[in-house]
Amino acid sequence: MKPRNRLLTIYAAIVYVFLFAPIVVLIVFSFNDSKRSVNWKGFTLDWYPTLFTDHALVDALSVTLRLALVVVIISTVVGTLLGLALARVRFRGRAATETLLLLPMVTPEIIMGLSLLVFFSAALGWHGSFTQLVFAQVTFCISYVAIVVRARAAGMSAQLEEAARDLGASALGAFRYVTLPLIFPAILSGALLSFALSFDDYVVTTFNAGVGSSTLPLYIYGRVKFGVTPEINAISTIIVTVTAVAVLVAWYTGQRRNATRAVTEDESETDLAAPPPPATPTSRAGAGA
Amino acid sequence: MAAESPAASATTAAPPAADRSSRSPGSRLASAVLVLPGVVWLTILFLVPLLIMVVISFGTSDATGGVVLDQPTFDNYARTLDASFLPTFLNSLRYALIVTVLSLVIGYPVAYWISRYGGSHKALLIVIVMLPFWTSYIIRTYAWMIMLRDNGVVNSILQALGITSEPIILLNTDFSVILGMTYGFLPFAILPLFVSIDRLDPSLVAAARDLYASGRSAFLHVTLPLTMPGIVAAAILTFIPAMGDFVTPDLLGGAETTTIAKVIQGVFLQGRDWPYGAALGFVLMLVTLGGTFLAIGPLRREVAGA
Amino acid sequence: MTHPFDGSSLDLEKELTRYMVERRVSRRQLLEAIAKLGPAAALAPVIAACTSGGAGPESQAASAAASAAASAAVPSAEASVGAGSAEPTAVPEPEKELFVYNWTEYIGEDVIPKFQDKYGIKVTYDFFSNTDEAYAKLGKDGGGYDVSFPISVDIPAFKEKGALLKLDKSLLPNIVNLGKEWTNPGYDANNEFSVPYMWWTTGVGYDTKRITDTLTSSKALWDPRWSKHIAMLDDWQEVFGLALIQMGLDANTTDTAEMDRALALLEQQKPLVRVYSTDTTTTMSSGDNWIGQIWGADIYKIQEENKNMVYYIPEEGGVRGSDTMAIFSGAKHPIAAHLFLNYMLDAQISADNTNYIYYMGPNAAAKQYISPDILNDPSVNPDQAIVDKLQELLDLGPAVREEYLKRWQTLRGG
Repeated sequence: MKPRNRLLTIYAAIVYVFLFAPIVVLIVFSFNDSKRSVNWKGFTLDWYPTLFTDHALVDALSVTLRLALVVVIISTVVGTLLGLALARVRFRGRAATETLLLLPMVTPEIIMGLSLLVFFSAALGWHGSFTQLVFAQVTFCISYVAIVVRARAAGMSAQLEEAARDLGASALGAFRYVTLPLIFPAILSGALLSFALSFDDYVVTTFNAGVGSSTLPLYIYGRVKFGVTPEINAISTIIVTVTAVAVLVAWYTGQRRNATRAVTEDESETDLAAPPPPATPTSRAGAGA
Repeated sequence: MAAESPAASATTAAPPAADRSSRSPGSRLASAVLVLPGVVWLTILFLVPLLIMVVISFGTSDATGGVVLDQPTFDNYARTLDASFLPTFLNSLRYALIVTVLSLVIGYPVAYWISRYGGSHKALLIVIVMLPFWTSYIIRTYAWMIMLRDNGVVNSILQALGITSEPIILLNTDFSVILGMTYGFLPFAILPLFVSIDRLDPSLVAAARDLYASGRSAFLHVTLPLTMPGIVAAAILTFIPAMGDFVTPDLLGGAETTTIAKVIQGVFLQGRDWPYGAALGFVLMLVTLGGTFLAIGPLRREVAGA
Repeated sequence: MTHPFDGSSLDLEKELTRYMVERRVSRRQLLEAIAKLGPAAALAPVIAACTSGGAGPESQAASAAASAAASAAVPSAEASVGAGSAEPTAVPEPEKELFVYNWTEYIGEDVIPKFQDKYGIKVTYDFFSNTDEAYAKLGKDGGGYDVSFPISVDIPAFKEKGALLKLDKSLLPNIVNLGKEWTNPGYDANNEFSVPYMWWTTGVGYDTKRITDTLTSSKALWDPRWSKHIAMLDDWQEVFGLALIQMGLDANTTDTAEMDRALALLEQQKPLVRVYSTDTTTTMSSGDNWIGQIWGADIYKIQEENKNMVYYIPEEGGVRGSDTMAIFSGAKHPIAAHLFLNYMLDAQISADNTNYIYYMGPNAAAKQYISPDILNDPSVNPDQAIVDKLQELLDLGPAVREEYLKRWQTLRGG
């Protein structure tokens, strides 16, 4: 298997480079000594301090992050429940629900954005707001989470859960200690997708944002006509860096925790319903089935 | 099973166990808890607004861009059959198909590698895949513009290596649009693929090898069919939004790369003709849904029967 | 936004309220007017609105009388002459906040902070990236915003929708600063509902290093020597306008045969065009495009990136456009909005705006403060003789627009 391993690894590395190439360019151009991002004019650090004085930009970022957080939480919870149901439970109207799930994804964003605008205005007299944005964005995120969770849960036989029930676990307990860890990668993926969708959304957001709830994409797109300044690159660089650091820290502590748990293994229960630690999915054959 | 949509049946590849839990009343409550939040949310916040748009699509637009509803008409739908739209529809379809296939082909080995060789770093590797997408979409696209233009990075490298003597036109072409779209949808393919590949039991593959199957054969007859749910999910998550994507083709495309999504945008905003735009949008939706269902059937059969 | 379930019934109470809001008249003042003129004259416009839909000569006279009464009831402002900077006197107490919706970077750098400091009014300033989206949000009453900047050609449509608040000139003494050609524009007689903000021309920009010919005609955009290095605007009216003017026709023609000729001309051009885009700063400074149809004021930003870029208005003629500032009918802070408009009409402030965004304003009194580079730059401030030859793109109505859009779709089809 070793030669295949090598080839595949190189291939994967190339794809990762492909994914990050524009990011490298983005970071480099955040040091561009020019009011527009398009041509390289020289090196400067000035954009970083200036961006903190640009209140509109900082506000937009804050709105975007808060919005994404709320949207991710709601859509991940609702989407996971729905995905599980579709994979496991035979209920009437299942096919209809399947289609309902696909519809938001098939709908052109402009139609979804405008229809929500009309709906909120007609039904509630709302003219756009943070809350309205939450409602709008969750609506298109749910499908993504549900589809990914369903893909994972499908075919995963219910036997493990039933075994847990047989051994006396409650429905909730079986869910918490058996199902949840098994579908955790899907939940995480769904959450990541939702975050990316929310953070970057333009079309639906533009029609449902109100006075004072401008998001980063709105701010940036608004500047396109007048040239995108390296300030935007600078803030993107900061976001990527902060996220990367946070991820590394989370991973590192996860590693440490796994190591200490291995040491104290004799304290764990022998009950079959005992969970493998749900922190990081590992490739232990038994749990992976 | 017959009543289920192809999409549903594609994702329940393994024989569903006799689900004892669905028969008891307590678990009917549990089913309701699972299903209702999503269904209620989508019904109120998606279906109802959508129905409003359906109503609008039967109206006519008035002088100031408002909507007149007292005389419902099919005119708007008739107009969508205009010959001038066909090339644009086909363009969108072409891009969406190519991008989906590329995303699957490029993404599958990566997802496989992460699952098989990622070890305890799997979650980290997946998160790293998503990392670029927490920057701004438009900045990433600008970055591609910087790289692909006539005097950009790619052309400079090609000329430095002596492969070309003059800049070749990379930006504002089919190539740049497909590249940009594939780049944008790759994580949407990798994630579901990974999720599905990861739950595959490696002992099944080992068993096939023990039974004298070649590596290739084991892949084709064991791995691929069992990861079908992931492939289908990835295809859906890529093809459908690709049909509706207008930003990438708009920014990276040129005079000849118009997509139907952009046309719809224009009808709504520049034409101020909401009923017509709505009709066009629904036709696009039907085509996309139809295409999805049509493609999933053969895809599943193709792989399962291989 | 468009309300599909709009009922069309009016009632007197609603009309009366709208009348009072439009004319900034409180109930007390209305009663005073009634006392002065008699109820029939004072309320004639309200009754006219309820019964007919149009303005007959009687109701127009009546509404003129009523406005006179109303402004007599409102304390009038003294217009102070000179220096181009006037404050309305006896202003009713302004609200504490203001919501403004504009293009980004379309206002002088310190203009908003200075306004906030001067009046103690907190401004929420949001931006949009294209007018069509903005209009969808502004809808029929401003969508929550008090002030926005519609393009002049769209003012009639907004007016008809009842989206705009009629301006109270007594709160806009700086309006005397406007150049005389702007005091009574075709799209909004006497600036009743809007004041002009900036104006511009559309022409051609090209890179003198790549293109050594001296160009004067718009036919240069059809030159096969620069195939795939030509950029056009992503705006059907501008593109068709260019083609029509090139053929010596009216840019606002309603004749479908002429539209077809324009389409044929544009289809000849299409294989040579690299991109249709309104992001001219990027398309023209990246080096990928050597010649393009651009808005005049953009040349400054393009020149910052590429000093070799020059701009000219084609000898066949070109297009002139302008935008406006308007207060919307749903405005919650109309007094503050008026103060803002007056402030923007101030000579110095108008000059600050021009000096920052490189667009020419309609403000004659501001000229003394505008940087001479801009005043002498023919791309931003061409000679009057040239300006007179330019055509203005008009709102052609949905039927004609549909004809153009069909052909635009055929052109862009892909």
